[in-house]
Amino acid sequence: MINGFRITKPGILLLIGLFFITIIIAPYIAPFDPTDVKMGDRLKPISLEHFFGTDHLGRDVFSRILAGAQTTVGTSFLVLAISLLIGVPIGLVSGFVGGRLDRFLMRFVDAFMAFPDYIVAIILSGLLGPGIFNLVFAIVMVKWIGYARLARSTVLTEKQRDYILIAKVNGVGPMNILRRHMIPHVLGNVMVLATLDAGKIILMIASLSYIGLGAQPPIPEWGAMLNEAKAFFYNAPHLMLIPGLSIMVIVLIFNLVGDYLRDHYDVKNQNGGK
Amino acid sequence: MSVLTISSLTIKHREETLVQNIRLSVNEGDWLALVGESGSGKSVTASSIGGLLPRELIISSGRIHFGEANLLDLKEKEWQNYRGKVISYIFQDYQGAFTPFMTIGAHFDEMLKTHTNNSKQQRKERALETLKNVNLPEERVYKSYPFQLSGGQLQRAAIAMAMMLKPKLLIADEPTTALDSITATHVLQLISNLQQQTNCAVLFITHDLRHVRKYANKMAVMLKGEIVESGSKTSILQQPQHAYTKALIAAIPSLRSTKNRLVTI
Repeated sequence: MINGFRITKPGILLLIGLFFITIIIAPYIAPFDPTDVKMGDRLKPISLEHFFGTDHLGRDVFSRILAGAQTTVGTSFLVLAISLLIGVPIGLVSGFVGGRLDRFLMRFVDAFMAFPDYIVAIILSGLLGPGIFNLVFAIVMVKWIGYARLARSTVLTEKQRDYILIAKVNGVGPMNILRRHMIPHVLGNVMVLATLDAGKIILMIASLSYIGLGAQPPIPEWGAMLNEAKAFFYNAPHLMLIPGLSIMVIVLIFNLVGDYLRDHYDVKNQNGGK
Repeated sequence: MSVLTISSLTIKHREETLVQNIRLSVNEGDWLALVGESGSGKSVTASSIGGLLPRELIISSGRIHFGEANLLDLKEKEWQNYRGKVISYIFQDYQGAFTPFMTIGAHFDEMLKTHTNNSKQQRKERALETLKNVNLPEERVYKSYPFQLSGGQLQRAAIAMAMMLKPKLLIADEPTTALDSITATHVLQLISNLQQQTNCAVLFITHDLRHVRKYANKMAVMLKGEIVESGSKTSILQQPQHAYTKALIAAIPSLRSTKNRLVTI
């Protein structure tokens, strides 16, 4: 299923399937209410009743991890979706129209690119105040740029192709050329970047929540859980290890899926990424 | 009847003049060969006819008449009534002629959809008929993606598509340069057959005087952006007036006189 650091098709389907099913049914399989405080049960170790123990307020960590998966993954998908919706059309228009509009849009993008991702996200969410939607906004402001650039550069290379020229001399209108002859290609590239990016976005959400800018207590979120647990690291190390491992596993899954898609869409690799 | 008349066409890139004072006239059923060395402005001239010049190249003077209309006055929307329908192009690279993720059929269908009001069924029938006309296994090619066909099949399909709507003018921009001489002959024979069926005019851009001798009835010689000599093929090939034309003709290698060194220009 996993062959070296590559992954095969059944493996990928299994991973994606398991992953989404878990996330969707998470609230139904959680044995406890993730926000239910029971001070009598605080800092319990791993046991059959509490698979991952309990935290400093006596909340069941297993239930919180499941609920946190929904927060973390849901937020990262929201970020991805908004970034795609903003970035891809801007890149398409910029590359396709060209000229002054292109120069204007790209200088704007360059200005955003001049700062490292994390700095911009921290400054923005710091200015807007902590909270999950402000965090989404801050990360979108950083992430749409990559999609705009990728869409633009794909359109620019595609524009030089003979088949685009031939579509033009055959009388196909510019909107149809863009829609039928270019966008499918652009979307292929964009989807690969998006899956590779999903892992990074999850990390970013978790890191910003860890420093207190993202999800606020009592919302379960993996980065925020790490933050809350760090005071009890000596007494209950599982409180940090479990959210940390969860983040690692999920980022790994997204990277494997992204690698697979990249190989799969690669024209030179016709056997589908084996 | 005159299909295309170009008068005193000058094209500039900033201060540099690429093509100067071009005069050309092509009639129905003509096969006009435009010959000249690389960089002499043949392709720029051909692109200007279809309104395909890159933004940086400016037509500073002249007119391109197609029938009654001056093509240089056309708006982008109006161009769509010309491109593919009455003026069509064939280029060098057949491998890249079709969008890789669309079937050949989808290309034909798109073109028919753009220019005709035919129903879906009619469009398919017409596309199949066109493919059959150039001796391709029509059903299979229609369903295939470009990478599933051989180079020769793609060529035929590309030429068939260019000729499908019976254009009045076919512009062939070095259609044989990338081909070996046997395939080149097939391609030219195909174009020639299609020309006889539709009686269209062909503007044929080439380096190769052998093709000119065989297929063209008129020719024009370009040098450094200007047409130095034009007229009927026989008169130019037999009595070249301009020194450059003489040199071009002298440079054709001959099978009979192997003792002579090749002539350079």
